Amino acid sequence: MTGLLEMREKLRTFYGKYELYVAVGLKFILGLAVFSIINSNIGYMERLNQPAAVLLLSLLCAFFPVNAMIVLACGLILLHLSAVSLEACAIGLCLFLLLLFMYGKFAPKNGCSTILTAVLCFFQIPQVMPVAVGMLRGPSAYFSVLCGTVTYYYLRGVRDNLVNFTSTEETEGLAKFTAALKIFTGNKEMYLMLAAFLVTSLTVYLIRRQAISHAWRVAMVVGNVLELIILLLGYILLDLTDKILWTSVGILISMGVCLVLEFFLYNLDYSRVERVQFEDDEYYYFVKAVPKVFVAKKEKKVKRITPKKRTTVGRRELAEELDIDQDWLD
Amino acid sequence: MLNEERIRLMTKMASYEAGEGKEYMPIRQFYRKDYVSYEMIKTFITSTISFGILFLCWIVYKMDEITDIFKGRDLPELGVSILIKYAVFVCAYQVIAYAVYTRRYKKATASIRKYYTALKKVEKLQEKEERLQPLEEWK
Repeated sequence: MTGLLEMREKLRTFYGKYELYVAVGLKFILGLAVFSIINSNIGYMERLNQPAAVLLLSLLCAFFPVNAMIVLACGLILLHLSAVSLEACAIGLCLFLLLLFMYGKFAPKNGCSTILTAVLCFFQIPQVMPVAVGMLRGPSAYFSVLCGTVTYYYLRGVRDNLVNFTSTEETEGLAKFTAALKIFTGNKEMYLMLAAFLVTSLTVYLIRRQAISHAWRVAMVVGNVLELIILLLGYILLDLTDKILWTSVGILISMGVCLVLEFFLYNLDYSRVERVQFEDDEYYYFVKAVPKVFVAKKEKKVKRITPKKRTTVGRRELAEELDIDQDWLD
Repeated sequence: MLNEERIRLMTKMASYEAGEGKEYMPIRQFYRKDYVSYEMIKTFITSTISFGILFLCWIVYKMDEITDIFKGRDLPELGVSILIKYAVFVCAYQVIAYAVYTRRYKKATASIRKYYTALKKVEKLQEKEERLQPLEEWK
């Protein structure tokens, strides 16, 4: 344990020292993941479905705030959709505008969780996000997870029902609009995910704010179990039993991620709890103080025990220094 | 001569201006009422656009049944029911906007207060330095 704590301190120091480079690197990697996923799943516009485009966009995102990545990703999605059908692109644009006006405007700082949710959805493990966001952020951030989920289901819907959008008959325009809208209205799995994520995040939030010992650990376990139960029941009711395996894997990964988060952000030592009571004119205070686990980083001191080198000075140097003739030193 | 305390304070202030202050300083240019009203007007526009998009999507989605919908109901009645839905939608967003932006303004006020305290300290230190400067020149 001490080794882990030391490693945590080292990581913190490293991050503090190279924060700028770490942030740029992380944004670049996230950008690579986001744009590669978009291109591999809905890369219908061949000009943009190139590794060079992914690299260029990721590089751009590395030097801008995360919200710039959202704008670029939305732009890329809409361009790809326009190559398939303008109707799908129009509905995509409507979706992004609705998400921006109905949520993004009020909580512009939650872009990162929106992007991460969509990325994890493509990796089949979005179960990580609601518990993690519930542990780290307040209720306003939970809708960002929902935004990411809705976007993922729309893109998956277009990809899975491509035939509905590729018809060339002009009279099919309305049918294409209806097909695009049916991705939302007829997708019960999406509603199940949204409900499960919202309930899980709120439960985690409510538990972790309680003044109980190991609040984060309890919140994490309850949140993950609750999410698993809701999703399993939902999948059984919707007859989607093939999803159960991935859901279980997702919950296990979520548990691991939450343990890591707890270790880095909420590592308390409950064996050294202190309880104090005091009063002022208006109140009586009962305070429970839990110290954080902290290990001072070992600082290596190198002590040289070899004797100092004897400096030998030649006759000529000494004579030059004393400004006398060399022969006088005989 | 360099004044370490003043430099420390100014560094802190510069870091605030580049980080948290970037978000909060423009907010504090307004009075609370003005800021919240301005944001509520913006929210009114965005919520109207959102309702328009939702309404348009509903019409497109129900296009096949639209004639039945219009046929079965009185048109003014339908218009009133849509207007009521619009009013409820916009009102809900106005309430959300009021709550969100009032809270944001309070947060900005609390955050910027520390900045102004530091600013006053810097001013005092500067005044003190200026007062001492002629004496040092005499020496």
